[in-house]
Amino acid sequence: MNEGLLAGKLVCLIARDPADAEIVARWSRDTEYHRLGDNDVAYPQTVKQAREWLERDNDRGFGFIIRTLSDDRLIGGIGLWIESWAHGEAWVGIGIGERDYWGNGYGTDAMRLILGYGFTELNLQRVSLGVYAYNPRAIRSYEKCGFVREGLMRGDCQRDGRRWDSIFMGILREEWLLRET
Amino acid sequence: MSYDLFTGNLVRLAALNAELDAEAIARWDVDSEYMRQLDSGPHLPNRAKKIREAIEKMQSEDPKTIELCVRSLVDDRLIGFVAFDEINWQHGDTFVAIGIGDSDYRGNGYGTDAMRVMLRFGFMELNLKRIQLDAFSYNERAIKSYLKAGFVMEGRQRGMLLRNGQRWDFVYMSVLRDEWLALNNEQRHWSES
Repeated sequence: MNEGLLAGKLVCLIARDPADAEIVARWSRDTEYHRLGDNDVAYPQTVKQAREWLERDNDRGFGFIIRTLSDDRLIGGIGLWIESWAHGEAWVGIGIGERDYWGNGYGTDAMRLILGYGFTELNLQRVSLGVYAYNPRAIRSYEKCGFVREGLMRGDCQRDGRRWDSIFMGILREEWLLRET
Repeated sequence: MSYDLFTGNLVRLAALNAELDAEAIARWDVDSEYMRQLDSGPHLPNRAKKIREAIEKMQSEDPKTIELCVRSLVDDRLIGFVAFDEINWQHGDTFVAIGIGDSDYRGNGYGTDAMRVMLRFGFMELNLKRIQLDAFSYNERAIKSYLKAGFVMEGRQRGMLLRNGQRWDFVYMSVLRDEWLALNNEQRHWSES
């Protein structure tokens, strides 16, 4: 039952391991990667900080490292954060740190995996995410996975002298089940 | 629209006050008859300080345990506690425990009322799917009360307990969400128009 829950077509999801801190710290030196990911100030991490992040455990967080199936490379991270167990709602975040793997379906594959994990293993009712309007590649990827645009916050962040909207997307359990069967 | 999830017919459920309520709970824990109905382990009364720390820890952490105190409606007396323990959010399942520490309030429906309020909280607010408990076969009053609240007998482990030279069973009971909804005709409080 659900043997292949964490393995997709291009990637698999593996445990976060403090031994991979150097790779994660290297991703953090890429400011574009930061900006595509969130609105925290882009700030490079030391290997020690990355290790602490990889060690941090929380029973509401389900975080994984993304590894390619073809060449066994660690290319990014993905995780669900349970916003409310009572309502079955979680937020998802994803980042592909290795630029060579941008725009080739790796992130989409990882997102499909974690949706399967969220709906069939954690029994969630809904998965939400936020994304910036300057990241159309991510938005397309999320739409491929079944996410629907639900709303936006206008001028939510400032990048290079311009205000940008943040866009909220979500997928409901019933929608996901319809797609998968 | 006016309703209160935490109020029943005889009792209300309230937050435990670590400072004030720990003393009362420590007094109940001295009563070994009460403790034998509550727990199968060796009776060891807890110090108020330890109880206070346990309440504070429970209230500061992510909710795997939700413990509330039971207060009588007529005189607002602290008479017991009720708790969801080991909530398994993934599967929507939890254990429930209850104790009426004040002996004056046993056998008069206070515990049953508190359990009914707790079940409503579990199913209507936490959206749980199943609530289970275990009881000891010598505690017939409790078992009767659980049946009244909607629990169903699921099974027993024979002769698990030795009390006063006699062996007694562990009794497992549970109530499923659908059973509870069918029994309770819960009002819908929200509508879109």
